[in-house]
Amino acid sequence: MKFLQNLVLALVLAVAVSGCATPPPADDRAALADYRAVNDPLEPTNRAVFAFNQGVDKGVLKPVATAYQNTLPPWLRQGVGNLVDHLRAPVVLLNDLLQGEFRRAMRTFNRFWINTALGFGFMDLAGGMGLDGHDEDFGQTLAVWGFDAGPFVMLPLFGPSNPRDTVGLVVDFLVDPFGTWARNTDRDVLVYARGGTHAVHARAQLLEFMDDLEKTSLDFYAAIRSLYRQRRDDEISNGRGSANAPVPDLSRSMEPPDFDPALELSRR
Amino acid sequence: MLPRRFVLTICFGLMTGFAATLPGAARADNHGEKSAEFIQSLANRAIESLTDPETPRAVRIERFRAMFNDSFAVHSIGKRALGRYWNRASDEEQTKYQRLFEELMVITYVDRFANYAGESLKIVKSRIEDKSIASVFTEIERKGGAKPIRVDWIVGTNGTIYKIVDVKVEGVSMTQTLSSDFTSIIRQRDGQVSGLIEELEKKTAQLSAN
Repeated sequence: MKFLQNLVLALVLAVAVSGCATPPPADDRAALADYRAVNDPLEPTNRAVFAFNQGVDKGVLKPVATAYQNTLPPWLRQGVGNLVDHLRAPVVLLNDLLQGEFRRAMRTFNRFWINTALGFGFMDLAGGMGLDGHDEDFGQTLAVWGFDAGPFVMLPLFGPSNPRDTVGLVVDFLVDPFGTWARNTDRDVLVYARGGTHAVHARAQLLEFMDDLEKTSLDFYAAIRSLYRQRRDDEISNGRGSANAPVPDLSRSMEPPDFDPALELSRR
Repeated sequence: MLPRRFVLTICFGLMTGFAATLPGAARADNHGEKSAEFIQSLANRAIESLTDPETPRAVRIERFRAMFNDSFAVHSIGKRALGRYWNRASDEEQTKYQRLFEELMVITYVDRFANYAGESLKIVKSRIEDKSIASVFTEIERKGGAKPIRVDWIVGTNGTIYKIVDVKVEGVSMTQTLSSDFTSIIRQRDGQVSGLIEELEKKTAQLSAN
C-alpha cells in the first residue's frame, strides 16, 4: 500500500506543478498549425499522468498480466477473454443500435443468447458458427453522431482518451446492466473484480507489442497518443477506412503518401 | 437511319481515341494486381531468408537491410516522417537522418518482419488509389483461433519498380506513428532536427547493444 500511496502522491504533485502547454506565438503560422494538429493543450499534465500510469503498470498491472499469461493455460485465458466480452454484449448491442448498425446488432444479439445458452459465457460457440464478435462503445456512437473527439486527454488508470471518449466511458458504465445489477444488490466487489480481470486480460494481449513500442520509440508518450487516435478512427469506421471504402483523408497533419522513383533510385 | 456498322465504327473510333489521350491510365491499370504479386513475393522472400533460427543475427540483419532497401521507399518514408522539418534540415542533416532512420527501422523490424510478412499472410484484395499508388489488403492468421490481424500495404510504382510507401496494422500507419514520434522530439528540441539526430544516435546505439 505504501507503493500506491507514493504513486498517488506523485500524481497529485506532478499535476499540480505541470498545467498547460504554451501555444506558439500567433505569427509563427507553421508552428501554430502543428500545435493545432497535435491538439494536446494539456500536454504537460497529460505527460505527468502518463508517468503515473506507467508507474502503476510497471508496479502492478504488467507483473500481474505477465503471471496471468505465463501460468494460466491458453484455454482458460481464452475463456476469461470470452467471459469479459460476453458481459459487455448488452452495452455493445445498445451502441450497435444507436449507430443504426442493425446487422451488427443482430449478430451481437444472436451471439449473446447462443453463448449464454450453450457456452455459459465462457465458451464462444457463436464464433465457431461464423458469428464473430466485435466491440462498440458510446464514444464511437458519439463519433458516428458527429461529435468531435476534442483534445487529447490522458486519464489516470484508464489511459489515453479525449472528452468525447471519456463521456462514452461514463455512459457505458452507467447503462451497463451487469454493473447496475451488481451495484443495486450490494455486490460492488463484482464490478471491481470484472474491471480488474478485464484490465489484466487486455494488458496480457499487449505484452510484446507494448514492450516493442516502448523499446523502439523515441518519445513513447507521443507514439501512444498517435496510436490511440489512429486506432479510434479505425474502430469508429469499423475498419471500413481500409478495405471497403476509399481512403478518406489519410491523416490530420500529413501529406498523402507519395512515391518519387527518382528519389529512391538516386540513393544507390 | 444510319447503317449499324457505321455507328459501331464511329463508337469504336471515339473509344480508342479517348483511350489514346489517357496513356497513363492505360499503362497503370493493372498495378493493383502487380502490387499484390509484389507483396506476395516479398512475403516468400522474408520466409526464406529471415525465419531460419540457425542463421546468426548479424547475417539476418544484413539480409533484412538489403530487403528493406529493396522493397521499401525508405527515402520517401523518412522524408514524410519529418514533415515540415525536412526542409529546415541542412543537406548534411538530411543525409545523417536518413542513415539513422534506416538503421532504426532495420534493427526494429529484423525480428518482427517475418511475423508480419510470414507464412500466414493472406492477400484479401488490392485497390488502385491513383496512377502511382495501390493498396494491398492482407490478413495475418494467428495461432489458437485468435482474430487475424489486418495489415494494409500501400505500394508506390512508376510502372517498373514497386516499393512500399506505408504499412498499416489494424488501421495504424507506420509512417504516421513515426512522424508523431519524431516531430514531438524535434518540438522539444526547439525545432532543431539536430536534436532528433542526437536522440536517434542514442536509440540505435542502445538497440544495437542488446
